[in-house]
Amino acid sequence: MENMMSENGKNEDSRLMLRVSDIRKNFGDLEVLKGISFDVMRGEVLAIIGPSGSGKSTTLRCLNCLEKIDRGSIEVKGDYLVKDNGNGPVEYAPKQKMHELLGSMGMVFQQFNLFPHMTVLENLLEAPMQVKKMKREEIEPIAAELLKKVGLYEKRDVYPSKLSGGQQQRVAIARALAMNPDIMLFDEPTSALDPELTGEVLKTMRELAAEHMTMVVVTHEMAFAREVANHVIFMADGNIVEQGTPEKIFTAPSEERTKSFLHHMLG
Amino acid sequence: MDKLMETTLSILMGSRLTLEIFVVTLALALPVGLLAALARLSHLRLLSRVMEVYIWIMRGSPLMLQLLFVYFALPLVGIKIDPMPSALLAFTLNYAAYFAEIFRAGIQSIERGQYEAAKTLGMSYTQTMRRIILPQMIHRVLPPVSNETINLVKDTSLIYILAMNDLLRVARTIVQRDFDMTAFFIAGIFYLTMTAFLTWGFKRLEEHFGKYDE
Repeated sequence: MENMMSENGKNEDSRLMLRVSDIRKNFGDLEVLKGISFDVMRGEVLAIIGPSGSGKSTTLRCLNCLEKIDRGSIEVKGDYLVKDNGNGPVEYAPKQKMHELLGSMGMVFQQFNLFPHMTVLENLLEAPMQVKKMKREEIEPIAAELLKKVGLYEKRDVYPSKLSGGQQQRVAIARALAMNPDIMLFDEPTSALDPELTGEVLKTMRELAAEHMTMVVVTHEMAFAREVANHVIFMADGNIVEQGTPEKIFTAPSEERTKSFLHHMLG
Repeated sequence: MDKLMETTLSILMGSRLTLEIFVVTLALALPVGLLAALARLSHLRLLSRVMEVYIWIMRGSPLMLQLLFVYFALPLVGIKIDPMPSALLAFTLNYAAYFAEIFRAGIQSIERGQYEAAKTLGMSYTQTMRRIILPQMIHRVLPPVSNETINLVKDTSLIYILAMNDLLRVARTIVQRDFDMTAFFIAGIFYLTMTAFLTWGFKRLEEHFGKYDE
């Protein structure tokens, strides 16, 4: 891979995992995204912060087509997931391509969304076996490894309802990783957790970041964003108000809006 | 004593017909009901509307009328069906409509997050339905399905209108012949025994499907 990149001299481009250009979205008359643009490089952790209703979750959900955009374009690893031809509706990639691009993204939800009728291990095996048609013998060792990584291997045969929220979220992370994604999207992964349980989930995410997983994280955990992210976006009212390194955003924000938000969040 | 035995045996013969209608109707109405529910939930407006009308007709008119219609009215347009298939057709269409509404409610009660999780994992509509939504739906709809199933046992007695000798019609014939109510008691015991089995069976099913959310 490394060699190929330098040979065709596209080093810069090949590092580009996600390019979001001027995406806009309305829910009825309400304009929830008013032109969002950003890039995410391979191995980078992007944190999106901002008050509730600022459009940060919607932005994330547009990346993997849980919401459709009205204008703008999204590129995944150099291929258009959706492009804007200027006039007429935006054009989404054909089914096959779309499936491939969406397959390179894993998603972790605020409400975990584990499959309650399947054991922990079955939750991890389901998509690889159904979607990728992998044999149980192929995927089971990988799933076991992932469960060990999130520290829940000994819980592999229990049902999600028997787990704490933090444990469920770690299983959800492992489940997404079992599909071997290139990019992991996190939608407020600790917001539904009791405060004492957020630590274990954040620890798992930190470990992922340390392994250079490309991550886009919508979060209210300012300490996590500051410490783990390479790049921080502050959103309000469907706009990106300010973006930059965590250093800049957290120590020297230039916008008034950012300052007051951080003041409020950090107390 | 001989007479009691004879009465019981006659009613037992009648139960065979009752059970046949019951088993075949259930076996057909459950899958048809599921398909009708999926069609009712379809994004294809026309399909959804057609199902709505079908469900309205089936739930909105008496099952007895539907039985009579299939057996007596269809021959007027050249479709002549024997009593047994007539009964099965009317019962299946009727019960499938009720099951369709139960299944629809069950499917709609599954959280959106389940669909979203399946979608982000790359699962297709069919995979999502078959592997994620329906297994959870079954658990939730067991109590109302159990209700309908028990109703079906009792509704089978309507086939007397097509001159079919089911459990209750046999009992009534005996009562009218002998002026002795014993046959009604025996018939009652037969119905109660059948519904007792069903109640037990559904309880076991609920336990089986409920093992994940204790």
